[in-house]
Amino acid sequence: MTQSLRIVERIKAFFTEIGDLSYFSGRFFKEVFARPLEFQELLRQCYNMGNRSLLLVGVTGFILGLVFTLQSRPTLMEFGAESWMPSMVGISIVREIGPVITALICAGRIGSGIGAELGSMRVTEQIDAMEVSGTNPFKYLVVTRITATTLMLPILIIFGDAIALFGSAIVENLKGAVSYQLYFNQVFDAIKYSDIIPATVKSFFFGYAIGLVGCYKGYYCKKGTAGVGEASNSAVVYTSMLLFVIDFVAVFLADIFFEI
Amino acid sequence: MKKTTSQKLKLGVFVVIGTALLIAALYSIGNRQNLFGNNIRIMTQFTNVNGLELGNNVRYSGINVGTVSKIKMVGDTRIIVEMLIQENISKHIKKDAVATIGSDGLVGNMIVNIIPRESKKPPVISGDTIQSYSKIGTDDMLTTLNVTNENAALLTADLLKITTKIIEGNGTIGLLINDSIMAKDLKQTIFQLKNTSTGASQAITDLKDIISSVKRGQSVAGVLLQDSLSGQKMKTIVNNLEQSSVDISQITTNLDIVLKDIKEGKGALHYLTADPTLVKDIDSTMNSIKEGTYRFNENMDALKHNFLFRGYFKKLEKEKKKEESFNKNNHEN
Repeated sequence: MTQSLRIVERIKAFFTEIGDLSYFSGRFFKEVFARPLEFQELLRQCYNMGNRSLLLVGVTGFILGLVFTLQSRPTLMEFGAESWMPSMVGISIVREIGPVITALICAGRIGSGIGAELGSMRVTEQIDAMEVSGTNPFKYLVVTRITATTLMLPILIIFGDAIALFGSAIVENLKGAVSYQLYFNQVFDAIKYSDIIPATVKSFFFGYAIGLVGCYKGYYCKKGTAGVGEASNSAVVYTSMLLFVIDFVAVFLADIFFEI
Repeated sequence: MKKTTSQKLKLGVFVVIGTALLIAALYSIGNRQNLFGNNIRIMTQFTNVNGLELGNNVRYSGINVGTVSKIKMVGDTRIIVEMLIQENISKHIKKDAVATIGSDGLVGNMIVNIIPRESKKPPVISGDTIQSYSKIGTDDMLTTLNVTNENAALLTADLLKITTKIIEGNGTIGLLINDSIMAKDLKQTIFQLKNTSTGASQAITDLKDIISSVKRGQSVAGVLLQDSLSGQKMKTIVNNLEQSSVDISQITTNLDIVLKDIKEGKGALHYLTADPTLVKDIDSTMNSIKEGTYRFNENMDALKHNFLFRGYFKKLEKEKKKEESFNKNNHEN
């Protein structure tokens, strides 16, 4: 009996959290265009989340392209289809692997960072102090961060895709004696708008989810230092799960609208 | 937490490069799908498009010159395929060019191939419809292969029956393979056949020699066949023989008549051959002549001794001796 009550409580807690997150999201849309726009803070967050993540995303993307091509080559060679490598790698990276891997990396780096930063501000009562001083902490801390992740993640994904394709082209050039021109010709021959547009659109949602969950977990952090760690950790976990849910929905909708 | 100018610059570069990459990718993809630039629209008709889709490439002499922009069913069997062709290439495509649906490699996408014709027709313009040619599709090939497979299965079953019978020694071939006595006989037959063929070969060689000698005119037959003079003579002989046979025939007819007459008792010969009285008379006559001759010899001997005729007989003896001595002398010289 106690066990079932516990399960019911957990389910209730889950739905309550979803409801809270929805209200939090609604508040974001209510305040995003409200003045003051906090543009300077937005630019600072964009720089922190975009520029400072570029190295991590670039290195990961480059290694992803190298490894993906190296691992796929033997299998394709068995079928005598190595000439299909640029098309296959191009479509895979642009459509799915690039956005998802980049988003997961950003969830780890940016989501946890936001959770920890806002959590520590909540624990040290800086947010309360901002409210007392007449500054809207939601507008200054949350809206700017969510907007920054929403805007920066697509650009990071584009960089990640480009660097991954470049890594793949290097492997093809060294192993398969395929020129860079031929490689990118074949990649762009294979990629269609139906591949790149849904991927770009969903990358905005990925960025929004990373910012939203990170801010939510940090903004409503429990008291104490343990709460900061929990906020940071749960931000990454929930964001990762949410990313896959968004990815599934995006692929499902793209299949309906673009017939991929 | 103010932002430095360098931070703003770096962020600006980051955003611009990222956006430029996205735009470049979108432009590159769009350009390959002929969404930018000047294009013309041409149409063709098919009865089966074999899985052709919107956006599939259109090739002219192996060069990508456009994409499929519309596929529309206009009847129960007619499908109109509309293609966007680059305007700068369209001047090379003549109005009598033929469109076919092919595959980009063994497992590649479907494509429309426009095959050029060496004619002096004007180039296509937007809105033109070019001819099409439907190749045999994979399904048709598989259907044919299916029929072939079924036939192969039937053939295999029949072959299995035949081989089983052969193994069991049934039928002529089975007997040939399994019967050792027949094998020996066959071996003997083949040996004899070999000998016969050797003899035949020898005979042919001899015949060849004969024919060559005949050709060279070294034998009677050769002379007959080759010498025109002899041939003429032979012709004369044959003519003579023919004439002779006519004469002989006449003679035979006459003899027949004579013999008939003789048989019928006409003429003296009948009496000579058929009358026994005449034979007796002749025999008697011959005896009388023989006796008369004997008497005549006696009379002649009596005359030799008579003084009236003695001188005459002595004179004859002297002339005879004289002639003999003359012949003897001639012979010795």
